[in-house]
Amino acid sequence: MNDHDDQQICKVLQQSCPRVDPTLHRDLWPRVLHKLEDSSEGRVPWYDWALVAATVLIVVAFPRLLLVFAYHL
Amino acid sequence: MDLLRRFTLGDIDAFETLVRQIQASIYAWIVRIVRDPGVAEDLTVDTLWRMYRLRHKIRVDGNFEAWAHRIATNLAIDYLRRKKPEHSLLAEPVAAPNSDHLLAREIREKIQEAFRRLPPKLQVAATLALIEERPYDQIASALGISVGATKVRVFRAVRILRKQLSDAGITPMRRAYNE
Repeated sequence: MNDHDDQQICKVLQQSCPRVDPTLHRDLWPRVLHKLEDSSEGRVPWYDWALVAATVLIVVAFPRLLLVFAYHL
Repeated sequence: MDLLRRFTLGDIDAFETLVRQIQASIYAWIVRIVRDPGVAEDLTVDTLWRMYRLRHKIRVDGNFEAWAHRIATNLAIDYLRRKKPEHSLLAEPVAAPNSDHLLAREIREKIQEAFRRLPPKLQVAATLALIEERPYDQIASALGISVGATKVRVFRAVRILRKQLSDAGITPMRRAYNE
């Protein structure tokens, strides 16, 4: 393909598919922030993990507590 | 601490400042590929969201905008893969029909259809290089390939396009838009 062919193909394509307006007409930050908040909703917060860890530690340290809990259930 | 470093550490205020700095550039890049302002806005939001999720992977001394454009380009290519086949490259202009106009319109539709049938990676390279006339080094950077490989993609796109148009009875070199 030579430069002349290139120019002809460019011309045909540009006439068939005119350029689009590349200007962004509004601020997208609110939408980005909303998406970030949505995506973080499914995550388990750190304090929930801390609670689970504390419970596991207590059960390991004092296994008989399970019996006490079972009795009260 | 500079803005980019604060962003990589997850500072949401730094991210907001960065978004306001680069959103127009990302949008302009995407809309040139997908050629639909609504879709381009959605993909820009997705790009910015993905940048935040991948912030720990960015090199603070690297080219931030090129990294953003690469993410944007990948999302645009994914969109072109998923896109419905009837989607048009542009809104059809409304005009009084006459035989010349109908013929021109038919040719234009065939060219658009042939263009849409290109593999997305070739279509993106051809759109940016031939329609938008972006510099090859910029396209190569956004595609994550060399300038030589970008030229090969454009060459392959033109070859396929020429074959498809020839099969459809159109020889763009001689006749397409002589009206």
